Amino acid sequence: MDISLFGKTINLPSDVLAAWIFTGIIGIVLVVYIWKKKKLPVIWEYMRTTNHRKIGTLYILFGFIFFLRAGLDALFIRSQLALPNNDFWVFQSQKYSEVFTTHGTMMIFFAATPMLLGLMNIAVPLQIGARDLAYPFLNAVGFWLFFAGGMLFNLAFFLNKAPAIGWTGYAPLTGPTHTPGVNTDYYVFGVQISGLGTILTALNMMVTIIRHRAPGMKLTRMPLFTWASLITSFLILVAFTVLAIALYLLMFDRLFGTNFFTTNGGNPVYWQHLFWIFGHPEVYILALPAFGIFSDVISTFSKKRLFGYPAMVISIVMIGFLSFMVWAHHMFTVGLGPMANTFFAITTMTIAVPTGVKIFNWLFTIRGGVIHFSTAMLFALGFIPSFVMGGVTGVMLSVSAADFQFHDSYFVVAHFHYVILASTILGIFSALYYWYPKITGYALDEKLGKWHFWLFLIGFHLTFFPLHIAGLQGMPRRVFTYDPGEGLTAINFIATIGAFTMGISILCLFWNLFKTHRKAEKVGNDPWDGRTLEWYVASPAPEHTFDPMPIVEDIDPLWVAKRQNRPMRTTDHHRIAPLSKSSILPFVMAMCLFLLAFTMIYHLYWVSAIAGIGVLACMVIRSLTDERKSFYRSINWL
Amino acid sequence: MKKLAVFLLLPLLAGCSSITVLDPKSTTGEEQAYLIWFSLGLMMIVLVVVFVLFARFVIKYRYTEERKNDIPEDVKGNLKLELTWTILPIILLIVLAVPTIAITYNQSPKMAAEADDGIDIGVAAQQFTWTFSQPNGKTDQNKLVLPEGEDVTLHLSSKDVIHSFWVPALAGKIDAIPGRTVTYEIKHLQKGTYRGKCAEYCGTQHTNMVFEVQVVSKKAYQKYLKEMK
Ligand code: HEM
Ligand SMILES: [Cu+2]
Ligand SMILES: [Cu+2]
Repeated sequence: MDISLFGKTINLPSDVLAAWIFTGIIGIVLVVYIWKKKKLPVIWEYMRTTNHRKIGTLYILFGFIFFLRAGLDALFIRSQLALPNNDFWVFQSQKYSEVFTTHGTMMIFFAATPMLLGLMNIAVPLQIGARDLAYPFLNAVGFWLFFAGGMLFNLAFFLNKAPAIGWTGYAPLTGPTHTPGVNTDYYVFGVQISGLGTILTALNMMVTIIRHRAPGMKLTRMPLFTWASLITSFLILVAFTVLAIALYLLMFDRLFGTNFFTTNGGNPVYWQHLFWIFGHPEVYILALPAFGIFSDVISTFSKKRLFGYPAMVISIVMIGFLSFMVWAHHMFTVGLGPMANTFFAITTMTIAVPTGVKIFNWLFTIRGGVIHFSTAMLFALGFIPSFVMGGVTGVMLSVSAADFQFHDSYFVVAHFHYVILASTILGIFSALYYWYPKITGYALDEKLGKWHFWLFLIGFHLTFFPLHIAGLQGMPRRVFTYDPGEGLTAINFIATIGAFTMGISILCLFWNLFKTHRKAEKVGNDPWDGRTLEWYVASPAPEHTFDPMPIVEDIDPLWVAKRQNRPMRTTDHHRIAPLSKSSILPFVMAMCLFLLAFTMIYHLYWVSAIAGIGVLACMVIRSLTDERKSFYRSINWL
Repeated sequence: MKKLAVFLLLPLLAGCSSITVLDPKSTTGEEQAYLIWFSLGLMMIVLVVVFVLFARFVIKYRYTEERKNDIPEDVKGNLKLELTWTILPIILLIVLAVPTIAITYNQSPKMAAEADDGIDIGVAAQQFTWTFSQPNGKTDQNKLVLPEGEDVTLHLSSKDVIHSFWVPALAGKIDAIPGRTVTYEIKHLQKGTYRGKCAEYCGTQHTNMVFEVQVVSKKAYQKYLKEMK
């Protein structure tokens, strides 16, 4: 559609126009709602908050919004592929490439990762008896950087400049010669800024877990979710740093004419190495926290201690370690040679061993228990067989010579959706039902929860099981159509039905959220007969928790105390808690970085410089106004 | 649910022989299909064990009215069991690793042009066409003619971005990367006409970067070579 504005004609495709209208309507509704209900102070409060539960909630809220956006993209993809030689709306060639790039990038960087970080933010301090994360201010910075990156990446679409390079951004396609437009720059800067925030949050998480555990909470007594968060944070620290470097080099290639990833002195394959040294650990960054969630949920709803706690912890560590030694299994067809292909096939297979240990330990946790089929537990139970199916195809992919066939085909699409959806997405849903009382004080409706679960699980298998066969039938990924004669029609049609079934299940979740808040029925501290410390504090978790501080004497301290019919023992002697003080600086900082990136994309370097000075100024102000100083002075520490 | 499963598995069971990759038309492809079946078979063992245990435990230990006040026994773990499910998978993986290494060593695409048995075919990829050159210098676009029963060595290169040469019915794929030449051998071709595709996303027309492979009798091949373009 052509629109004339200030005498210039702008070509606006109908999907972008629809997005503007839709967003505009939602925006107006929101503004009216906020005005009428006088919610402005709440927003102002959340913009300045440094409290871990509130930041966690923000992480989950925006992660979920981006999840919906990326999910909508998935429905567009599936609608276009439902029938051979289909022409659904605008989603062919350029637009199709944009939509799968957005889908993949948003799901990984702006939906799955932040929702997990949000859950860590909320649950980890409560599980270890910390009053907040070690650095509350830094936590807010981390969140707002993610927010800025996500908004920047989304902006590309609204300006009809969405990147069309795949979430992997392979050079030299991403170089200035082959994608000269600003589209690719949005990918580079959007992912870079949010990645920075992710690194900061990981650092924060590590220090919190190491420094701020309750008295008696030895490392060997930590809940599995906390363990998983700790190892994940180490993975993030290394992996996202590598990604940041890769993006940085790509930025130089694109903006300043360097040749890191060109054939003109550099090498496009270097990008693949860097990207996958980040990319493979990333899938474990998504999976490990989910493993932690499932360990806690399965143990809670089986009324039984986790089977083989030491093995469960060691296997997380092993998986984390091995995940850095397998990256080239994404590059079997590059021609690294027989030696490399064999080595990486073997290392990949070894990861199956600790993963298998975890599966069997979960099964034996259930064994002998009393299984309560709450919605949280259903998601955890649905995870086990689904994830094993994804794991099985993972081992098949590691067989490098067979991977020559699987690689970049729909077999791979099926495989990674099996592992990511089964672990991360089912895990996030499980955690949502499990910890919702801790976040809001209300428990979600169980009946609607079951609808949500069953529709999602069925839709998920219906979508992705047939896609294995599509791959073996010769369908490459990232194609916007296929021929009627290829024997792919039935498979794709079934997959599309499955995708819409998942879409409907998300509507059930919406209805559930709406209904729960309508009803507004408070639940107590401990609605699930829990085992760990988070069920000891009030629901929703107040800003000032653990007063008095409990003493931890066992792996499941609350459970043990309840079985012995005694309150938990408490103490006044514990490490000084982090001070959380509201500040608008993190938000301002992130917005300055947003402006910096945005103007870099359009080569307005002098504005970038001013924005950069703004970031620096925020840092200086922060350094001079440390709220801890007066506190430490008041207790005579300084 | 059961009906659904049957419905989904049906194409798999009924049509294995008609699934392109599992019905390969070269020795190289056969070795790959063998590996796919072999790994699938081994993995089915794992899958069945997990599914059976899972179903059994979930049914047997579910919450019922009689068990309302049961507090399960406090089990910490079991070293013997845990060792079992560490060691057995290792053995399983070693069994899988042996044929994997053997075949991978043979088949992996190489950087240098060491292998020069068989017919040498140049494959030059460019957004969004394929140019194939025969040993006698004859070139053709998006159409590759090869003789039946022979081995071919592909020499892949790219003029712009990364592409990937894939003929699902013949064998696995190999990337065509700018700035280097990668070689890949496909052995003992069978007669037929096959679809070829680009398998690495290379731009917005990636979908349309398809080609056709005709494996013809040796006589027809010689005739094709002599034909002027
Ligand atoms: C909710 C239902 C989902 C559906 C129906 C769906 C569907 C698809 C399809 C059909 C593709 C292949 C597109 C193509 O190659 O042309 C794809 C790609 C992808 N999906 Fe999903 N997906 C879903 C959820 C997710 C989730 C939860 C994640 C990760 C957290 C995810 C991550 C990806 C990634 C990384 C790609 C690759 C994008 C690329 O090729 O650059 N998807 N998805
Ligand atoms: Cu990987
Ligand atoms: Cu391509």
